[in-house]
Amino acid sequence: MAPGQKLYPRATVKKIVKAHSNCNVSKNVDVMIFLDYVLFMQTLMKEAAIDAKQAGERGISARSVKKATADTLAKFKG
Amino acid sequence: MADPTPNKNRLAAISTPRALATPNRRAISAEPSSLRLSASGRRNPNTPHARAAIRAIDQRRAALFTPGRVGRRRSIARERERETPRDLLRNLSRVLAPTSKPVSSSSSSSPPRGNESTLQTLLEEGDDDDDFPIERPRFSLPLDRDDDDDSELKPPRSSILDDENYTMQSIEMPRRAWTEAPLGRLDRSSLGSVRMSDFVGPEIGDDADDSNVGIDSGFFPPPALDDDTGGIALDEEAIFERMDEEARRQTIGGQDDFGPIEIPDLGNESTFVMAPVESPTRDPTMAEGAESSDIPGFDHYDDDGDDNGDGLGDLMDAPGLDDVDDVDDTEALQDTIISQVASHPAQRSTGRRKPGKRISRHGIEYPSLPVGVVKRLATTLAKTAGVSKAKLSSDTVDAIMQATDWYFEQLGDDLSAYARHAGRKTIDESDMMMLMRRQRQTSASTTPFSLAQRYLPRELLQEMRMSVPAPTKAPRKRQARQGDVEEEEVT
Repeated sequence: MAPGQKLYPRATVKKIVKAHSNCNVSKNVDVMIFLDYVLFMQTLMKEAAIDAKQAGERGISARSVKKATADTLAKFKG
Repeated sequence: MADPTPNKNRLAAISTPRALATPNRRAISAEPSSLRLSASGRRNPNTPHARAAIRAIDQRRAALFTPGRVGRRRSIARERERETPRDLLRNLSRVLAPTSKPVSSSSSSSPPRGNESTLQTLLEEGDDDDDFPIERPRFSLPLDRDDDDDSELKPPRSSILDDENYTMQSIEMPRRAWTEAPLGRLDRSSLGSVRMSDFVGPEIGDDADDSNVGIDSGFFPPPALDDDTGGIALDEEAIFERMDEEARRQTIGGQDDFGPIEIPDLGNESTFVMAPVESPTRDPTMAEGAESSDIPGFDHYDDDGDDNGDGLGDLMDAPGLDDVDDVDDTEALQDTIISQVASHPAQRSTGRRKPGKRISRHGIEYPSLPVGVVKRLATTLAKTAGVSKAKLSSDTVDAIMQATDWYFEQLGDDLSAYARHAGRKTIDESDMMMLMRRQRQTSASTTPFSLAQRYLPRELLQEMRMSVPAPTKAPRKRQARQGDVEEEEVT
């Protein structure tokens, strides 16, 4: 996370969540939402990295990300 | 040994005294050995080995001298072993061999003859006597009666065919393999945009759009055939279910996500799976490489929009790349190919922008998270995950974007469920706390605040701190827990 840049567009996150939930989003929830998203991404990348290593890839391929996506999403199902 | 033994055997077999063979040999071999061994044995009785050797030799000698004993020499044992009935027969055959001539009736030659003869006789008899031979054919004729049974049996087959709707296959439209399609096809889909065949695609999509979503994904795993054929029927059933459970659908839909997400992966690996037509794909981000993903996506997306009314779908169309709405995928494909040939890079760029105009299930437009942000985050996290080559390919980024979209959709569903359950129309921070606790991201040891300290930059942390002052945090959590209990009680 580059220091100069803002980490994420807060309004966008709010809009996304609002669209999906059809609910209003209170003022600072988006920070926590983004926090949760970071955790999600962390898990996803970790899983994908493990999968990529098992497959013997250098770096992370789309395939391993896709593989990890299902599990990670299930893990983050509230 | 080999030569003399048969002779002996023959003799022995005929005249049975085995002892005849042994005394001769004993006369030759036993004397020197007994002399030598007894001498050596008596000289060195001290060592245990010597004793054992002496004992063994004595035993052997005893065995030699006693004619009928078990422990005899091997040669004798062998001879005895050979005296099986088979050997007797062999000996007999050897004796008889020169005098006798081979008999022509061997097992191989006879049966065909017998069969022919029997067949001929049967036929002849069939001609002659109508009773018996015809009776036997009627053993097969009962099969003719069974033909009635066969007719009974056949219907099951035909019914299976109907079930499988093989007739549908004849109408089946061209389909593409999962493997051919980049992930983009799955696009956001979330809910199920994943459809198995192009055939179901546009027309049915119009009818059953929304319901297709969840259920197709649910039924996705079975091979393409079922989905194609079942597509229509299932979709309609699906409609009813879905309409009824509109409220529940959120969570269910979320679960459905996994079907479509998971399977393509498997399919990509080894098996050949037919490509789905994604309905709710409004995600051009992924579309770039995909042959037709952009456009069909939009089409179906429009279908999706039909939930709320065709007007919406049409509205969506306008921004959409083409008006290919109800056109078959093949045409869509052609169009996309053409358009790609014409302006691939432009499309890509617009594709990136386009996702900005996607519509959620509730008919609200929403942008997707900027690719740059996601990419940066993913790269950072990949580094921390221990990947040496931190560069992410565009495919990977697309996959991550897709996961992101799915994630936010799921998150929105969950949060709205919590908020509505609490009787609010606003998603509160307690909802988010609740969610994170249910995700096991926060626990007694890790508070959301500690997580935020770890993962968020200071500005955002300050935001959090300002919005949620530390002292009020704990009580709020307790409140959330109480709310939890209440929820449980209510439910």
